[in-house]
Amino acid sequence: MLRRTPLAAAVLMAGALALTACTAEQTPAPSTSAVADPNASVTVRMVAEPGNLDIRETAGAALDQLLIDNVYQGLVSRTPEQDIVPSLASDYEVSEDGLTYTFTLREGVVFHDGQPLTPQDVVWSLTQVRDTPSYRDAERLAGMTSVTADGQTITITLSQPDSSFLWNLTGRAGLVLKEGDATDRKTAANGTGPFTLSSWRQGDSVTLQRFDGYWGDPAGVSEVIFAYIPETQAALNAALAGEVDVVTGFDANLSEQIEANGDFTVEVGASTDKGTLAMNAAAEPLADVRVRQAIRQAIDHDAIVEAIGAGQTQYGPIPELDPGHEDLSDVVPHDPEAARELLAEAGAEDLELTLTIPSFYGTTVSQILVSNLHDVGVTLEIDPVEFSAWLNDVYVNRDYELSFVLHTEARDFENWADPSYYFGYDNAEVQELFAQSLAATDEAEADELLAQAARIVSEDHAADWLYNGASVVAVGDSIAGMPTVNVNERLNLAEITKSEG
Amino acid sequence: MIRYALTRLVLLLVGLVVASVLIFVTLRVLPGDIAQMIAGVGSTPAQVEAIRSGLGLDRPLPVQYFDWMSGVVRGDLGTSLLTGTPVATELAQKAEVTVPLGLLAMAIALVFSVPLGVASALRRGRADGTMITVGAQALAAVPVVWAGMMLVVVFAVWLGWLPAQGFPRSGWADPAAAWRALLLPAITIGIVEGAMLLRFVRSATLQAVGQDYVRAAAAKGLTRTQAMLRHGLPNVGLSIITVLGLQVAGIIVGAVVIEQLFSLPGIGRMLVVDVGQRDLPKVQGELLVLTGFVLVVGFAVDLFHRVIDPRQREAQ
Repeated sequence: MLRRTPLAAAVLMAGALALTACTAEQTPAPSTSAVADPNASVTVRMVAEPGNLDIRETAGAALDQLLIDNVYQGLVSRTPEQDIVPSLASDYEVSEDGLTYTFTLREGVVFHDGQPLTPQDVVWSLTQVRDTPSYRDAERLAGMTSVTADGQTITITLSQPDSSFLWNLTGRAGLVLKEGDATDRKTAANGTGPFTLSSWRQGDSVTLQRFDGYWGDPAGVSEVIFAYIPETQAALNAALAGEVDVVTGFDANLSEQIEANGDFTVEVGASTDKGTLAMNAAAEPLADVRVRQAIRQAIDHDAIVEAIGAGQTQYGPIPELDPGHEDLSDVVPHDPEAARELLAEAGAEDLELTLTIPSFYGTTVSQILVSNLHDVGVTLEIDPVEFSAWLNDVYVNRDYELSFVLHTEARDFENWADPSYYFGYDNAEVQELFAQSLAATDEAEADELLAQAARIVSEDHAADWLYNGASVVAVGDSIAGMPTVNVNERLNLAEITKSEG
Repeated sequence: MIRYALTRLVLLLVGLVVASVLIFVTLRVLPGDIAQMIAGVGSTPAQVEAIRSGLGLDRPLPVQYFDWMSGVVRGDLGTSLLTGTPVATELAQKAEVTVPLGLLAMAIALVFSVPLGVASALRRGRADGTMITVGAQALAAVPVVWAGMMLVVVFAVWLGWLPAQGFPRSGWADPAAAWRALLLPAITIGIVEGAMLLRFVRSATLQAVGQDYVRAAAAKGLTRTQAMLRHGLPNVGLSIITVLGLQVAGIIVGAVVIEQLFSLPGIGRMLVVDVGQRDLPKVQGELLVLTGFVLVVGFAVDLFHRVIDPRQREAQ
């Protein structure tokens, strides 16, 4: 009897597997018709899960992607292409002097709990954000002297012109919530958007459901599931096994693998992701501008873009999608020879530097940097740390030499005009130009001033911009209407549809 | 016996208190804090301070520790700073994934390691016996992550029999789907743990074969296999239980890795995320429960041994 046991065990194992095979009911048949199914459920792979759902206090793009436009709305919103468009306001007007903003609030808007949106809710929401310093982006409304409602007309006045004000209203600061709402914002939401928040399985997924009382065109699907799958390989497996319809934050180098069976197409869109190599000029040797320039000229930016598989080079603080962008490649042409000379001039041969990088970024970029800098005589040590440690050491204490972080936020030039930011860059001329740009009432003039300031930041070699990332999204063939531009920052899924398979 | 049990129980409690202090202190050594995590990049020091004092993190450490402990004594494991839900609730929710996963992994490990281990011991010196031993050694050396990826590629991606990742969103409402989601991860842990168990079963069996009582039985006319089955295996079984008790910790560690790989919303993955986000009160509660669980299993195994094995009672 014992003699047969090993065999029996093997049979048992195989049997167990075969059994489960019989109960498998996966039919990911490719779609033949392109008729959108209004009752469809779409599963979208996301990389990072929000810690909680409190959009007023909790940081992170994961929350913006999930909640802004889909669940919460403001008077105005932005398109993936970064244009400002009306949302809860059907129309708006800015006075000549740039001090008065007049919005016409839509009628017939209801919150997810059935209560109507009133002009007073708008007044309350904006005032509350401005007056609660612990709220995210509270300072963006600091210049607001008054907000009043007269019928459906909302009037906001500013103490001085602010060319970024309307843009700020498209973000968190401008979201409109119900006055006196008792909803626990950490775990639930009560907005006016096309989707309601139906359930949150922590560590797994958030499910949004179409809101039937929505004021605008109803959402194209009845349900959207944000599936949080941090591991790239697990996400690829899930896609290949037909468990997700869309993969955001995809690795462009795996495009062939996901496209191989014909069920997915990889779409590459522009983004405002800036792979920023911060250089701490507060301490030697990086206080010497020649050393910073040498590092930038030693880096082969084209090789980095190629290794990542998507995106483009960026030689200044403003990416192409943002106002004030200009091509600054002339500032730091790739030239290892010049880099070596600069280092020699600065008396900084045999330099040793440490790069502090949050550990979830992988090693591709670090490896290229080590090799590029080695070529000019700089020894680079990589110190991968947890994000919370990065926040503590680099962001708060500014205890670093070089640091790499992908800054995803759009229109964040202000950080170069803020010496208290962790970049530590302090240039009065840049701060003055930025202030003038904010005060400009003419858009073209504001952009031109930003461009001037950006050039100075780059010429000062305040940092290096290793690449301007792309939005890489693998879209299932039954899916239409999936946004593909700048999806790492915002993700409006109202128009996504799924055809009947 | 009762005296032994009481002594052992006191040791268990002391162990828990020591563990709680260690957990509390070790976590405080980590750089970074949750207030900064919540506030994130772009926050001002004032914003972070407001969040920190709102969460009660600005109180002295001993106060925080005694606060935690007095809660634990009352059966309250505390509240997650990030999500605002009670730690016990979240643990119970994640245990719905991790406990069946561990049990299934253990069952899989046992199903192949016991018969194969015994067989390879009885066939020592023969080709098939050696093959099993070498195979087990090779399997035990396989990294869990690699084994998991291979299984996913074959059974989920190529054959499409089993899900590649995740757990049904409806939980155990559909038991078949839930078990299917757990099968690949459980096999992955089971193979690696089972390979280690197999080597143990083999050596325990070899030891039993050499014992007088087995030889005596064989002398009375039983074949060697019969003698092993009737007199040797009960003793082997006893020591397997001890090893299984020890392996509980191994399976928990395996779950941490495997739940990441398969995106399973279980205790292991929750721990990793919570440590990363510095949700310290939550991590404290989780670690204390896990430590307590391992200690209690050890306690139970010891008592069980006492009851079953007369030799240990006499030795006291």
